[in-house]
Amino acid sequence: MRLPTPVSSRAAEADEGFLVDLEQFQGPLDLLLHLIREQDLDIFDIPIATITAQFLAVIRDVEQRLTLERAGEFLEMAATLVRIKAQMLLPRRGDMLEDEDPRSELVRRLIEYEVFREVAYGLANAEAERALHRGKGYIEPRPPAKASELPLEFSIDDFIEAALSLPAPPEKRPHRAPVRPVTVDEKIELWFTALKRKAGVQFSKFIGRWKTRIHAVMSFLAALELAKRGRVRLRQERHFGNLWIYPSEDDEDS
Amino acid sequence: MLFASEAPLTSVEIARASGDLSAADVEAAIGELCREYEAQERAVQIYPLADGYQILTRPEYAPYLERFDSISRTQRLSRAALETLAIIAYRQPVSRMEVEEVRGVSAAGVLRNLQERGLIEVVDRAEGLGRPMLYGTTAKFLDHFGLRSVDELPRPDNLEIALKPEV
Repeated sequence: MRLPTPVSSRAAEADEGFLVDLEQFQGPLDLLLHLIREQDLDIFDIPIATITAQFLAVIRDVEQRLTLERAGEFLEMAATLVRIKAQMLLPRRGDMLEDEDPRSELVRRLIEYEVFREVAYGLANAEAERALHRGKGYIEPRPPAKASELPLEFSIDDFIEAALSLPAPPEKRPHRAPVRPVTVDEKIELWFTALKRKAGVQFSKFIGRWKTRIHAVMSFLAALELAKRGRVRLRQERHFGNLWIYPSEDDEDS
Repeated sequence: MLFASEAPLTSVEIARASGDLSAADVEAAIGELCREYEAQERAVQIYPLADGYQILTRPEYAPYLERFDSISRTQRLSRAALETLAIIAYRQPVSRMEVEEVRGVSAAGVLRNLQERGLIEVVDRAEGLGRPMLYGTTAKFLDHFGLRSVDELPRPDNLEIALKPEV
């Protein structure tokens, strides 16, 4: 199933009053500069009421679509604008004449931002110019693709099929502790009996009398135990070949 | 050495590798080679770049090189990245907060990205609370924009404002 592509915000907003798409702006300063420059306003004498109204209209339109962080950046600027507007409306007393224009800090920031926007534009040109020259085998590292952006190339049917083909989770079985029908010690006794009569016993013959696996396992453990104690010797011709058990020399003497 | 190198080499680096040449000798030799390549209108030229030199193709061949899938295209930077680099280039060493103040938006993501691409690096730590990291541009930054040094940065009309550090 393909994920639905988000409806282009550009198309949706294009008809409404301000032809402004916040996505194309780097931030509140960028938007503000756009509004000022577009209308050919004097940056040193910004009609703060008009600009504030326009700014608020733009962000109100797209408020819902902004991420929290971006929204915060724009709202902070909106608050600044409203504050400046309020300060401008306040009657100025005589002793405040020396005071700065409440817009001055904003103007300073706008001009500063505009300077760097200009430098960035110059850098873009320099970048394009430099890209015309190729060095030897120079490979620009590519940023890794984001996993979330990979298109889903399968259908819902594929998905269901894949889900159904998964093996059912095993039923919970109570753990059973097996009761051993025979002990190593019993087998050791049987080995002694068997070896008393013969010079050597083939392992497979020895266990042939019993059908269940536990007997083979216990017989083998018993044989190993005896070998460890030095009572028997074990010999195997080759891997997976016949295993022979012989009484050790000392044992024969006794 | 210039031919074999995939990044710009400085005359000092070349001199050190050669053993008995001085940087001035190397500069002179490169100048001679430059004039030779230019006179012969060779497809590759020696370009001064990032404090050094690199052999690069001439711009008129770019359209042909673009057609090869096996030759990687350089990735253009976003506006956010370019603006951030502009601020760092002029104000370096500069903290994240200063960059954010100028652009009015968060810079963390852009800075990380630029750092991953090797265009900026942490050059110092500021005094004061939290000792914030200070960023500066790298040789790769100069290479990316075809600059010899930061003196060749694009000059805005209002240069003093670009240079004036935040108060």
